[in-house]
Amino acid sequence: MIVRAKPAIPMRPMRAAHLACALAILVAASLGVPRALAGDRPSAEQVSQALTCQCGCGLTVANCNMPTCGFAVPTRHEIRRMIDQGKSQVEIISFYQRKYGEKVLSAPTTYGFNLLAWTTPFGALLLGGVLIVFTARRWRRAPDTPAPAPAPSDAEAAPFDPELRRKLAEDLRKGG
Amino acid sequence: MPDLGRLALAIALMLAIYSIGANVFGARRARPEFVASARHAIWAMCAMVTIAVVALWTGLLSSDFSLEYVASYSSTTLPTAYKFTALWGGQQGSLLLWTWLLTIFTSVAAFQNRRRNPALAPYAMAVLAGVAIFFLGMLNFVTRPFDLMAVIPAQGTDLNPLLQNYWMAIHPPSLYTGYVSATVPFAFGAAALISGKLDDGWIRSTRRWAIFSWFFLTLGNLFGARWAYEVLGWGGYWAWDPVENAAFMPWLVMTAYLHSVMIQERKDMLKVWNLALVGLAFGLTLFGTFITRSGVISSVHSFTQSGLGPYFLSFLITVAVAYTGLLIFRAKELRSPAEFESYLSREAAFLFNNLMLIGIAFAVFWGTIFPVLSEAVRGVKITVGPPFFNRVAGPLALGLIFLMGVGPLIAWRRTTASNLVKSFAAPAIVGVTTGVAALAAGLRAWYVLTAFSLAAFVLGTIAVEFRRGVGARRHMLAEPAPTALVNLIAKNNRRYGGYIIHVGVIVAFVGIIGSSFFKTEVKKSVRVGQSFTIGAFQLRYLGLSEHDTSHMETATARLEVSRGGREVAELAPAKLFYKREQQPATRVAIRSTPVADLYIVLAGLDDNGNRATFEVFLTPLVFWLWAGGLLMAIGTVVVMWPNVRERAAIAAAVARAAPAALEGDPAPGGE
Repeated sequence: MIVRAKPAIPMRPMRAAHLACALAILVAASLGVPRALAGDRPSAEQVSQALTCQCGCGLTVANCNMPTCGFAVPTRHEIRRMIDQGKSQVEIISFYQRKYGEKVLSAPTTYGFNLLAWTTPFGALLLGGVLIVFTARRWRRAPDTPAPAPAPSDAEAAPFDPELRRKLAEDLRKGG
Repeated sequence: MPDLGRLALAIALMLAIYSIGANVFGARRARPEFVASARHAIWAMCAMVTIAVVALWTGLLSSDFSLEYVASYSSTTLPTAYKFTALWGGQQGSLLLWTWLLTIFTSVAAFQNRRRNPALAPYAMAVLAGVAIFFLGMLNFVTRPFDLMAVIPAQGTDLNPLLQNYWMAIHPPSLYTGYVSATVPFAFGAAALISGKLDDGWIRSTRRWAIFSWFFLTLGNLFGARWAYEVLGWGGYWAWDPVENAAFMPWLVMTAYLHSVMIQERKDMLKVWNLALVGLAFGLTLFGTFITRSGVISSVHSFTQSGLGPYFLSFLITVAVAYTGLLIFRAKELRSPAEFESYLSREAAFLFNNLMLIGIAFAVFWGTIFPVLSEAVRGVKITVGPPFFNRVAGPLALGLIFLMGVGPLIAWRRTTASNLVKSFAAPAIVGVTTGVAALAAGLRAWYVLTAFSLAAFVLGTIAVEFRRGVGARRHMLAEPAPTALVNLIAKNNRRYGGYIIHVGVIVAFVGIIGSSFFKTEVKKSVRVGQSFTIGAFQLRYLGLSEHDTSHMETATARLEVSRGGREVAELAPAKLFYKREQQPATRVAIRSTPVADLYIVLAGLDDNGNRATFEVFLTPLVFWLWAGGLLMAIGTVVVMWPNVRERAAIAAAVARAAPAALEGDPAPGGE
């Protein structure tokens, strides 16, 4: 049985505001995740993921396993010792930050100039989204736009992909 | 031989300069004989660079240490295969490889267009020759592969041990092929802008080039990841290192282009955008080379650092300014009547897909250069590492995966609510069910649950697509299901090849999620005969064997791996010591299954090898990353497959089916 669809009802466009909301949620989610993961006693893995190995490999302390590295292994031991002494993640990380400077953190801090690191990508995305919305609006209003084609109804409600069917029929015609 | 190589590079540079002049003159004055002459110059240029490559290879294989390059990157004890791959193990050689690929692709493009595109092709060839001039200029004047040693050493320094790996034999050539072939679409885009022939001729001429480039960028990235997995010994394959990012960004932009170009082909929209994307992709390949070689940004992969940075940066800026200028100059002519009806349309899905892809590319770019900005603005060195990229690109990736599901099922122009429900009901149910099942199985991380649900949703939409297509053929042509499936793919290879690539992406994505979120690690020191456990596996240290050659020392530990008391494998991780460089390295042992990889690093040895320390990773699903990559490769081959038998098959189909019945609606009784 072919299911016949009702004539199409034009969809209301998603507003730019909706888009902004969606993006804001993305930002919040991405910044909020690690907080949620933080427990009372930090795991050595978590702490050593937050620190960059200083052997020049560019990996985190948790990950560096270069045979030539003299930094990661002793640091991992040290971190475990500090956790056993009851130090918190923040305390351990700031200990290393005092010792080696900000470059030991594996991600930028979330305040001051570094906040730009986190916000700019999402800002750019938002800007891109807004640009799409405005361009789409202009395209819709464009005076040189041909009259809108009849609403797709029956054809698109057919059980088969109308595009595929059209192509198949076209192919057969060409072949014949 | 060195003299020959030097001479060949000098001649190649002159030929490149000549071919620009002859191409432009021939095109402007409509003098085809000049264009033909320029074409011959391009072929001769390619031959010259080939001679230079052969000369350097000869030097490497014969350990001719009078050559500085050979003395720096090879040695007499280096295995022959790595003498061969040392061509791209160092700065000058890898630039030579780059230039060689560029001249080969330019020659192929010149051959393809010898009778086509008379108004466009000469300019494209001129642009390609212009890029070749930059690289040949570097090879002739700045970083010369055929420089000689003042004193000929008895032995060479050897190839970096990390590069003595078989993935390094194929990763750089693949990545370079991807990088360099992106120059061809760029050149034709620039040619369209220069010549004012702004129809979709440049797109048609380079469609295969763009897919070819994407294919090799995909492979290059995957091979690089595989190399990192096997060589760096930390159980991972991707660390958001600047050089990895540099290879990833052109891939993202090329992916965006391959999608947005479909809108232009179909609706003649987004002309400026598509031209911008090919320019961006090419610019990013230069940016990648700049990062790798300038030393501006430190990286584990920067094996060669040099003063090339300023040259690449200047070239990059020149290209960017010139290309942007051309785009602005032609902006009026590029305007086209655009139509856009609804956000519930495939156009919109593609637009947002491009937003996500470029958004991710920008986030990666931003994170890569932010340390430089920080140092310039605050004077403070900072690191932007994996936690940043995972948190920023992670959510965007989910958005992209979602759109991968939406795009294919949603109609062009607009979709009705009822259609939307009909198309997406089944995939949505599959997605939600998967999420609930994962929750019931004990998974709690929101990202993992969302990722698995979306992956299932996308696979559901692709299944719906295939089912519809097969259904249509069965219904209209009365083909049995397997035949219908094969014919469906064969006759619509672009579309269904694309879906195969999508399946590959999802499979790889599942592998990435599994391996990122569920990796476990055990570090254990044991004596010979002792055992330890990771997951369901028992590992027993059987003993050590040592092996000594003039090239390196190898200490191999043997481990018996058993599960439930039954031996399943014997693995042999090793510690290596390269004598020439006096540098240790590690050789990991991996037992890979679809469920999980057991990955063993021999971390330390004491007491004459009677005691060994192992670092063992159990990484679930990582197998699927490589399997997904293979599927993506297969899908791309399907997409590129020349569709020549279509006509014959159609003629045969016509003989079987009555055309009249096909023009109207399908008979009732479908679904």
